[in-house]
Amino acid sequence: MEFEAVIGLEIHVELNCATKLFCDCPNRPGDEPNTNICPTCLWLPGAVPRLSREAVEKASLLCLGLGADLQPRSAFDQKVYYYPDLPKGYQLSQAHLPLSRGGTVTITDEEGKPSKLRIHHIHMEEDVAKLVHEMEGRSPISLVDFNRAGAPLVEIVTEPDFHTPHQAMEFLKALRTRVRYIGSSECSMENGTMRVDANISIRPRGTGQMNTKVEVKNMNSIRHVGDAIAYEISRQSAAVQAGEAVTLHTRLWDPEKKVTLAMRGKFEGPCVPDPTVPVIELSGEWIEAMRSRLPEMPAERAERFVAQYGLTGEEATFMSSDPEVSNYFDALIDQGIAPRTAMHWLTTQLAPAVRERCQELAGTPVTPARFAALLNMLSRDEINANAAREVLVRLFDGDEAPEEIVGALGFRQVSDPNALDAMIDGVLEEQAEAVADFRRGQGKAMGFLIGRVMQASGGKANPKIIRELLAKKLGAAS
Amino acid sequence: MDSIFFYRSPENSLSGGGPLQGVNIAIQPNISVASWPTDAGSKALANFTALEDATLVQRLRQAGASLCGSTRMSEFGFGLEGSRAGEAISRREADAELVLDLTGESRLAASRAACCGFKPSYGLVSRFGVVGLIPSMECCGLLSGSLETLREILKAVAGPDDRDFSLPGEEIPDFSPRPVDPQTTTVGVLAEAQGELNGGHKDAFSASVEDLNRAGFAIREISLPEFPLFSLVHNIVGSVEASSCAGRYDSVRYGQRIPGARNWNEMYLLSRGAAFGPLVKSYLFQGAFFQFERYDAYENACRIRARLVKEMAGILSQVDFLVLPAVSGASSGDPASITDLYARFSLTAFANVTGQPVLYLPSATGEDQPGVQLVAPRLSDARLLDLGGHLLTMGKGGN
Repeated sequence: MEFEAVIGLEIHVELNCATKLFCDCPNRPGDEPNTNICPTCLWLPGAVPRLSREAVEKASLLCLGLGADLQPRSAFDQKVYYYPDLPKGYQLSQAHLPLSRGGTVTITDEEGKPSKLRIHHIHMEEDVAKLVHEMEGRSPISLVDFNRAGAPLVEIVTEPDFHTPHQAMEFLKALRTRVRYIGSSECSMENGTMRVDANISIRPRGTGQMNTKVEVKNMNSIRHVGDAIAYEISRQSAAVQAGEAVTLHTRLWDPEKKVTLAMRGKFEGPCVPDPTVPVIELSGEWIEAMRSRLPEMPAERAERFVAQYGLTGEEATFMSSDPEVSNYFDALIDQGIAPRTAMHWLTTQLAPAVRERCQELAGTPVTPARFAALLNMLSRDEINANAAREVLVRLFDGDEAPEEIVGALGFRQVSDPNALDAMIDGVLEEQAEAVADFRRGQGKAMGFLIGRVMQASGGKANPKIIRELLAKKLGAAS
Repeated sequence: MDSIFFYRSPENSLSGGGPLQGVNIAIQPNISVASWPTDAGSKALANFTALEDATLVQRLRQAGASLCGSTRMSEFGFGLEGSRAGEAISRREADAELVLDLTGESRLAASRAACCGFKPSYGLVSRFGVVGLIPSMECCGLLSGSLETLREILKAVAGPDDRDFSLPGEEIPDFSPRPVDPQTTTVGVLAEAQGELNGGHKDAFSASVEDLNRAGFAIREISLPEFPLFSLVHNIVGSVEASSCAGRYDSVRYGQRIPGARNWNEMYLLSRGAAFGPLVKSYLFQGAFFQFERYDAYENACRIRARLVKEMAGILSQVDFLVLPAVSGASSGDPASITDLYARFSLTAFANVTGQPVLYLPSATGEDQPGVQLVAPRLSDARLLDLGGHLLTMGKGGN
């Protein structure tokens, strides 16, 4: 029997708000344990939650950016369960009245065709504390770090529209790009600001059955999500073929062994409306004001790159996949750099150099203005590519203008034919053999001769002019 | 006899001035005062000391009041078993007392002490720093022998708080006194609120209504056949909220941890099992039952609540005030029984369901006679105090 998988995703995204969801504590879960805590996020007696406006705004922007319908009325519920990571015995989450319903993300499927994947709803919730299990001598102890307790999250719950690991991975990549554009989260699975649970069931291909699903957790990269889904599909298919029943439970992905392992029976506690957090009422006016704050989204931006800068579709998608890169790209072009030069130098030189230095494009000292000044000198043939790469390294070290660095290091390119003439003549005289090779039709010899002239110029000669002069001289001599 | 006080404040009256200068106020240990023991009457909070002042406390102090201590209270203030609320007033140890009103506790405590008891509109007073049990029903009540003191306290504490966003954005009511003209004022009497009264209480209530009539108020009989549903709705919704609300008492950071547990779950069960008294424990069990097993019944109770709120608001658009008896006459019975508790609070629980303000006014004819509850539309708290003032003056032979 051939099986088909039915997959739905639940994606937790940690919003990059300054404070937690219900108190003013800094939203910095990575700080020294239990430094960002207060009576409210510890839920000491008498605590009253105060919903963060910034969190509602950032969550709403995220919903709008994913094409979801913000609900005029949403509210928090108490998800009741008792565990040491939850100091009040329930998690505040929107179970009955979510912040938004609907939404879609378009991906390119395996056959290269666009495919629309639907979002069921998006709701807000608070994160729970982090448990750290250690040994104290020979007894195991569990430590609780409340820095993360109350951090603002949204949960994006998809429709069970996915059938392959590829779709799930493409969806997550597209979602990550969009949310980064919106600016609500870094959405990194590696550092835990995006966490994905996959619900997977299988059915005989072509039937509409919805069978018992298994929840898979603990994937910490998009690739792991794909691997875990692929593993789980084959595991369930084998089980069903062996006549075993699939039971509702949670499994953990083991990235070392590349298998999923059963964790626990799935416990669904009750969800009751919370009487302490006010109901969120969003007016049509407010929603429109939020919509007007949405930036240009990646798909629109890619279209613009094709239309305005003449990039190919593939290049445009690549250049728009990261908001920082594409903002920088736009800024370079605004400074008068040709789109292809900007694309080439940004992606092959600047971006890797920034990464290497653990900086970010938005904050690097190599601002678009400084980098554009350098590229302008290159396009005017004032320096050559080698010199440009050298100058770029120095741009990271100080705030000198590229022109000053070029001047100080004597990188200004020699393009004056009179100055180059003598140098070329000298090289031709020395390299009689190469000249002979060239004459015998060995094109390689030209490159060798250019290299020799460059060397003689101390790297400053303009290779284009050398080639022209050489061709003229050798042609004339033949 | 035990002290009525759970904690006596070492501080003396402040002399900073203000409208409450010289007013001595007792609180209960469920209202946070930094460095005061704040156990809300429960072993679940044993040894817990508040870290910050409740907004109520901040505002009282700003207005010049001095806090003389906290009085002994029932567990979480639910019911009056073990509570000494009101005694500080009758023994003149305090000019006013703050008593959390979950089911009608502040009003019945006032009736016990033969003083005035006021439950403000829900949302008028900040909950920040108040250790509660039933968030959507409870509100800090005020007891005093003097309505003017109550008015000054209310003026000082009411209004929006940036530490409690649930307070409505509506304009703060004008608390200044206004004269009451009986000729243009209609008082409604709910027929169903008298059904369970015994003979003596029934006669006393009829006499109070007759007094109102003689004073010139128009009296209108109103029927609300669903009145008994208030207690039922309160019971179901209240227990569900309490079950969640008490979930935080896990003996980890305060309270009493019972030794001998082999894991976290056992520690939780043992400690919680030992922490709560029989009434609260039954109530939490009941709430968990509705949460886990009968969520549909809870949802129905919420729907009925919304309808009852609307019906009461409708009634109070036809009349200016309602008058009801306060004391049901049900005997004390089993202190651990939820049914008995609701029987005793059957005439007061409605206002916790609707959030309306209620003034308990003691009888003018004698301390042994039961007083009445006066009800006004939500946020008409000041008008209720006006009416109370008018009736008290009248009872003393003035006007």
